[in-house]
Amino acid sequence: MVDQNTRPSSVGTSFQRTDLKDKVLGIAKYTADLSLPNMLHARVLRSPHPHANILNIDVQSALKMAGVHDILTPFNVGVGKIAPDVPILDTKVRFVGDEVAAIAAVNVYEADTAIDLIKVSYDVLPFSTNIDTSLEMGTPKIHPQGNVVNGGPIVEARGNVEEGFGQADYIVEDSFTTPDHHPASLEPRAALASWDGTRLTMWKPSRGIHADKAILAAALKINPNNITVIGPVMGAGYGSKDETRTSILAALLSMRTGRPIKLELNREEEFLAGRRRHSTSTKIKMGVKEDGTVTAVHVKTVMDTGAYLSSGPGVVRRAGQGALYLYRCPNVKYEGQIVYTNTPTAGSYRALGAPQGHFALESLSDQIAEKLNMDPLKFRLMNHVGPEGQPGERITPKNQIIDTQPVEGGVPFSSNELRQCLILGADAIGWDRRDQISTTTGPIRKGIGMSMFIYRGGPGGQSNAEMSLDEDGGFTLNVGFMDVGEGSSTVVLQMAADTLGVLPQMIRLNSGNTDNTPESPMTAGSTLTFSAGQAAVRAANQLASIVIEAASEAIGSTDTKGLYITPEGVCSMNGDGVKFADLARKAGLLKTAVSVTPGSKDYIVNSFGAHFAEIEVDIETGYVKIIKYVAVHDSGRIINPKMAEGQVRGGISQMMGFTFLEDMEIDHSSGVTLNASFLEHKSPTIMEYPEIEVIFANSIDPIGPFGAKSLGETPCIAPAPTIANALYHATGVRLNHLPFTPDNVLTALRKLR
Amino acid sequence: MDSCFAGVRINMENHSTQITFKVNGEQNTLDIDNRFTLLDILRDRLTLTGAKKGCDLGECGACTVILDGKAVNSCQILGVKINSSEIKTIEGLSQGNMLHPLQTSFIENDGGQCGYCTPGFIMGAYPLFESQTNVSVEEIRLALAGNLCRCNAYGAIIDSVVGAIGNKVDG
Repeated sequence: MVDQNTRPSSVGTSFQRTDLKDKVLGIAKYTADLSLPNMLHARVLRSPHPHANILNIDVQSALKMAGVHDILTPFNVGVGKIAPDVPILDTKVRFVGDEVAAIAAVNVYEADTAIDLIKVSYDVLPFSTNIDTSLEMGTPKIHPQGNVVNGGPIVEARGNVEEGFGQADYIVEDSFTTPDHHPASLEPRAALASWDGTRLTMWKPSRGIHADKAILAAALKINPNNITVIGPVMGAGYGSKDETRTSILAALLSMRTGRPIKLELNREEEFLAGRRRHSTSTKIKMGVKEDGTVTAVHVKTVMDTGAYLSSGPGVVRRAGQGALYLYRCPNVKYEGQIVYTNTPTAGSYRALGAPQGHFALESLSDQIAEKLNMDPLKFRLMNHVGPEGQPGERITPKNQIIDTQPVEGGVPFSSNELRQCLILGADAIGWDRRDQISTTTGPIRKGIGMSMFIYRGGPGGQSNAEMSLDEDGGFTLNVGFMDVGEGSSTVVLQMAADTLGVLPQMIRLNSGNTDNTPESPMTAGSTLTFSAGQAAVRAANQLASIVIEAASEAIGSTDTKGLYITPEGVCSMNGDGVKFADLARKAGLLKTAVSVTPGSKDYIVNSFGAHFAEIEVDIETGYVKIIKYVAVHDSGRIINPKMAEGQVRGGISQMMGFTFLEDMEIDHSSGVTLNASFLEHKSPTIMEYPEIEVIFANSIDPIGPFGAKSLGETPCIAPAPTIANALYHATGVRLNHLPFTPDNVLTALRKLR
Repeated sequence: MDSCFAGVRINMENHSTQITFKVNGEQNTLDIDNRFTLLDILRDRLTLTGAKKGCDLGECGACTVILDGKAVNSCQILGVKINSSEIKTIEGLSQGNMLHPLQTSFIENDGGQCGYCTPGFIMGAYPLFESQTNVSVEEIRLALAGNLCRCNAYGAIIDSVVGAIGNKVDG
């Protein structure tokens, strides 16, 4: 047996992603891969109008088709809601692609043929496809309360911005916009529902099976105890994948037909009826003193949420956190407003509003540095928020957990290595040669740019875990969270294994079924590693004590002090030992259950980072080539370096789509989305994938499990402003409107001449 | 019948056709719905769900399989056209417990995150693996240019293919 001093250590190693073998073998089962006997297939009839009342739906001809079993319409689905502004089906449609009816047939081809036979009478209404027209007087209300969500903006402030601007020697202001940005996960939404007369079983891609169960129960008015939600392997979420009618329609069709129903959205439907990143329009104003000190930051952001609110309130708040907290400043103010339009709905998408907010903030920061005639890196080194936090007085009572997205000053961070990120990144990109690489002749212009970010994440909701030593001598970690494709199940296993003193492969992770897992929050906001990790560590600690106690009895020792856990079993200092399988036989099932409320009453837990890029701009074609990209992240201790690096590289490449390519193009005369396909909506491919160097700051958070903080969404925040600043350095042209397509770059360059 | 469907019995009454083809070495004779694509046949008739339906339009590569030696988007091949063809899918790559070198390398290099695109990428790289021992990174990129990975694990995917093929010539 191994010595106590050579405890196995998996944390900090690149332990293999636990589900990857099934994925490369092609046997990992995603929702659409599942089938049940006697199953019917569903398809959805979608609105051709951006705004209309449905007067009547004639389903008679469609129902007469031999293969058709049932049709749902707003007139036969009951009054349940899946969100405050989203009924199961509505007699009003609010965007081109909104759900009108759902049909169940023997296969999708029959369903598609029958759907063309459904006749709908619409009373077509005037519509608005952008924020400006939605706010105009006389524009029809998309929802009864009006087109501005909650009637006005959220306002968050510290100090007094008017006073702050009064103290400034320079004030710089500008406006920025970001496009409708679609996650377009490769797996379209799908649902498989089975109703047996009393129980509903639902298989769906899910980032929160317990949350999904509650939504289904409320909408369908079924006792939650009669619902099972199962989350198969997920073809990625990126924060998206829920919030639509997909699973409810499958459930209702199953309840009405008595047969299992599979509903798979096609690619066009995923673009239209999925969830996109909110397009934004931001006005930002910053005041500085002659010496470079920031005196005030004031930001106003308006977001287009499309037809429904979805995660809008969380997104609009998060878009302001950079302005409120990234620069040390006593006077800050953020106003964020959400507006309904007759366009596809926005929701949560990786890093929520942070990329939009940081695009404006970090572009303007470079403009200020230029005004001061100061190097943009030096300006940030001088003004970034430090470990001590923001100036001001703590407002949160001492006995309460500090919000991870605070406004108040006077609270330090648990860890903050932003300065280290800036210095390491500058060194890796070669910032000191920046002045020398500029060229002013020839078609190729070179530039280097950078930006920095702050992000919440880490502490999430109440997290539970159960852990046991099983009959066969193996262990089970039972959790209610979902791995959405990012690998959280692997890192949580690593932490549990190290805590217990065994190997990760000795622990079975049970998740993905509401019947046999404890309640858990959604996989959202980069909180899994920190929060589920804390629960797993505590469960493993408790199980270790229970196992040692039982082992002491099994060995016949009077004292537990000399006993320690090894991957083979429990050993004593004097050489006795009991193997786990023997212990399990003697002691029976050993188990524990824990519940943790993640967070700190004394510190803000946040993640940080700085990105740098060297680019070449072809001023004849408008094409931008990334020569080198450096990303430095303070995410605390890195549990699994290979997976973490993959997460950072993937996030950056994904956001190259946001920066250079992706926008949902909506025809303002018809409300039709013109590019709802991968061919028309270009995303980054392997062809343009750049060299990305990933550096993790030396950082161990004193609160996070094993010193870890959040990582998942953070790579997505800095890419756009980093490229914008590099473009300015290369060409002298500042682009305030994403995406930087060759077309848009050329147009901006021409304006300069 | 149209000459391109020579030797195929099409039953216009019930929109079905009898076809015979090989998948992963096994002979199949099926009456298929004329509207079914090769991808539909694999997924719905043979429960080979490794090939994924990411777009059904030939734009994402998630459904890539090997048809008579070539990597194709199986969603773009009408089922009636695969009569007498030989098809290899991701499920036919491993031999019992022996993983194909591409599969091993994708695991070692963490070449997949959510995994939805992974079978398509592996099958897209398969002809390259079969045909050459030395390939450049540029050739790998070109071979996989039609495969989308929305997790954008492209760097690890390139490393995985390079690792399997063994000899990296130059970038």
